Amino acid sequence: MRWLAAFVVLSGAAFLLGDYHNDVYRKMLLWVTLALGYNFLFGVCGQVAFSHFAFYGIGAYSVVILLFQLNVPLPLAIVLGVLVCIVVALAVAIPSTRLDGFYLALATLALAQLFVVVLNEGGSVTGGTGGIANYRLPAIFGMQIRGPWYTGVIVLVLLLTLWILMKLDRSWFGRACRAVRDNPEAAAAMGINVARTKVIAFTLTSALAGVAGMVYAFVDNTVNPPIFGLENAFLLLFMVIVGGSGRHAGAVIGAVLLFLLPFWLSPIVGHHHVLVFGVLMLAAILVQPKGLIAIWDRGRDRFSR
Amino acid sequence: MKKIIFAFLLATGIAHAQTIKIGVITDRVGVSKPYSEPATEGVVFGADEINRKGGVLGRKIELLIEDDQSRPDISAALARKLVDQGVVFILSVSLSPATQQQQTVTMEAKVPQMTPMNSADYLTTQLQNPYFWQTGPLGSTQGATLLAHAKSKNFKKVALITDNSDLGQAIGKAFKGALEKAGIEIVADEVVARGATTAMPQMQKIRAANPEAMFLAGVLTAENVLIFRAYKELGVKFPIHSSYNLSVPIYETVAKGFINSITFVDAYDPDKPEVKAFVAAYKKATGKDSQNLHGYGYDGIHLIADAIRRAGSTDKEKIREAMQKTDYAGVMGKKGMKYTFPEGKRAGFDPDGMVVRVYEKDKQGRVVHVGQK
Amino acid sequence: MQDFLELAVSATASGCVYGLVALAYLLMIRPTGIINFAVGEWAMVAAFGGHLLLSRYEWPYPVGMAVVIAFMLLVGWASERVAVRPLVEKGAPLLAPILALLGVLVITREVISVSFPPDPLPVPFPVEIQYYKYFVIAATAMVFAGFWFFFEKTLWGRTFEAVALNRRAAALMGINLSRVTAFSFAGGAAVAGLGGLLVSPNVSAHYLMGVPLAIQGFTALVIGGVGRVEGALIGGLLLAFAEQLTIRYAPIPSGFAQAVPLLFLMIFLIVRPTGLLRARA
Repeated sequence: MRWLAAFVVLSGAAFLLGDYHNDVYRKMLLWVTLALGYNFLFGVCGQVAFSHFAFYGIGAYSVVILLFQLNVPLPLAIVLGVLVCIVVALAVAIPSTRLDGFYLALATLALAQLFVVVLNEGGSVTGGTGGIANYRLPAIFGMQIRGPWYTGVIVLVLLLTLWILMKLDRSWFGRACRAVRDNPEAAAAMGINVARTKVIAFTLTSALAGVAGMVYAFVDNTVNPPIFGLENAFLLLFMVIVGGSGRHAGAVIGAVLLFLLPFWLSPIVGHHHVLVFGVLMLAAILVQPKGLIAIWDRGRDRFSR
Repeated sequence: MKKIIFAFLLATGIAHAQTIKIGVITDRVGVSKPYSEPATEGVVFGADEINRKGGVLGRKIELLIEDDQSRPDISAALARKLVDQGVVFILSVSLSPATQQQQTVTMEAKVPQMTPMNSADYLTTQLQNPYFWQTGPLGSTQGATLLAHAKSKNFKKVALITDNSDLGQAIGKAFKGALEKAGIEIVADEVVARGATTAMPQMQKIRAANPEAMFLAGVLTAENVLIFRAYKELGVKFPIHSSYNLSVPIYETVAKGFINSITFVDAYDPDKPEVKAFVAAYKKATGKDSQNLHGYGYDGIHLIADAIRRAGSTDKEKIREAMQKTDYAGVMGKKGMKYTFPEGKRAGFDPDGMVVRVYEKDKQGRVVHVGQK
Repeated sequence: MQDFLELAVSATASGCVYGLVALAYLLMIRPTGIINFAVGEWAMVAAFGGHLLLSRYEWPYPVGMAVVIAFMLLVGWASERVAVRPLVEKGAPLLAPILALLGVLVITREVISVSFPPDPLPVPFPVEIQYYKYFVIAATAMVFAGFWFFFEKTLWGRTFEAVALNRRAAALMGINLSRVTAFSFAGGAAVAGLGGLLVSPNVSAHYLMGVPLAIQGFTALVIGGVGRVEGALIGGLLLAFAEQLTIRYAPIPSGFAQAVPLLFLMIFLIVRPTGLLRARA
């Protein structure tokens, strides 16, 4: 029942906010969704990857290309889009199981860059450097979903992602992931198939990112290469670390804070906001490397004595 | 007596209270900063000038300036913010993809929007947005103008080189189209990637193809400089014809010694009387020298002011109609050029309005060709 | 054929720059395990320093260069002091200083961005442009020879190696870990700075030059391996040659040529992740 309440509250907020705030809110929710998935991959499974945002882009572009270039009906487009993400993720994950630490990071960094190159060179399929615009979400059951109603869809995807990750986290799979993260040899000795665990974790979180991307495609009704650039991958990493990796709440806090920070800073410090951003990041990590969620925990503990 | 004083206070109070809000979306920290910053300064200067002369319809212009950090998704959100704040017009002086993103908002909200600077052709063709106008010189116009100048030289085989930025690719595509239409063979088509440390392999490939001239469509300064260096090192001699990016004055310092006799297409004729007046006024007001980029912003705000004046009100529909009927001579463009939007088109820079200039002894020199003929 | 020779020289010069950046990473990774992506921004700082002293104030090249490198030593030491030492002393996980250094990266870039005009700025060539590549190669060769000698033959170098091999054992033997770390960061910054200074007359100094250099240097490091100094240079050379030869000779549209080093890297990682050269036992 808490889930239903959360859905109502989060979606309802969309109806109370003005157009601009609704837009910021929606994009923030999408970042939270991404951060949750990335947190699972990075914090729980210990995989350092920079491809998460690229899968966001793969999902977005896939659904747009399938719907409007190939004229595939919406439900099939969604399914196929997810399949594309899964296939690409497997193509990256399976060979990467032999790599760990910063090698996986580098391979996924290369993938993220490669993705942008493909988009730019994709000619009429990807719309090249200008991307694809001028499309709308097709009617579902004869209804046009717009504005605050669409925010409801985003909330649905976010809650679904959270639910899936929470279930996984508490299951034996979550424990296996943690074991692999902390000590792969010991995990293998305990009978866990390390490679398969890693591949499943990577593929699953990447597919979730792809789904978020599909939803994003209809937020601005434009997809183009600059949106999916590499800087976002670093921002995602920052969000998860500053919030507190390994904890869902940490991902939420990190995403909300780091997404909204430039908006708050901009009026105060004008165009120096990126500098302040960097300083705050540094300060946050120096003061509490376990993330803001750890500060929250400490505060809570202190009060409950 | 009291009535008169009261009326006077009321009148001035109203005049001061009701400003005309115009939104400006620019880039203060990202990749577009070298272009957006001077353009924004031009807008601010232009708005100040207009206000000093009494404003528009008796009201002062208030600029609401937002920074989109070269991130298109933030750009769209900012457009919404400006719409919520009641702007009657949005000036886009950031990247072309950002302007595109903002269009999805202005189209839905029916708020007029214009870019005085972006040159991507797709901005007025990809979306049918009657509230959007583009007065920057289109990539296709640049290609055609440059080609007209080159045609007098009777080239049969040329090389094309650009970078992998989206604008560089867009201009490259425009050039390619123009060249192919004129029946000129493109014997080499190269790309220098952002972050490259040398353009030597690309220039070698071009040299091997033996072109009569090289068309440069790149817009990233550092990468263009690499191209010039490789050109000099390889000792090739074919003429270089460049996009309007070379009209940015920074090349005079950062590529000193490498740019003599390069021709480039520009929207700025230093001999034009409006330009001379602008340069003098800007120097007097700010004490600084202006560049051609300032002119784009300056023209942009004046075009908007002119449209509002002719509309006689701040009603967005009336402004839209007035804007479509624009007939205005600004700082940019060849002598005598006017911005107009013929036959329902929304790209207002006269296709015949660009000039070709040449670098003489590392300084931006005279005009050697005008228009597309 | 003449093309190939010219290209070989050009690729060697580019490879030297990549190699220097890779060396900078290596100097910091070996004793601490910390990957410092800020090396790209350090190179950028040196490039801007070069512009300031050599172009704007027109100091003689050797003097300007020396001052910039000295400044970079300071920058490296300061970065370590602020972003690394407090975390190491607190026992934070290894990822924390890496991220703190990413924060340093952003801060460095922004400080430069607000201090200088937005356009790319010129840095003068110390010699005629035709000879400049040889200058770069010579300078790099000297640096690498120096470091090789340092690690092989001097006591200090051996100390460094000892820490790289086993931190705890080295500490137990009385080696001052924090001093080694401080020196490794100072040295890394100086080397990265030299790389930036060498590449900037060609590329000009602009505030977005850091990240591509950081990525190229890191790729070179992975190819060459973290174990030995020479590996950094070899990795850099291989990367540069792969890039430039592909653009020149491969029959694919030039837009795709930029993807080739990335593919090259991904495949390389799968086949030989530890790099070409092995560390000494």
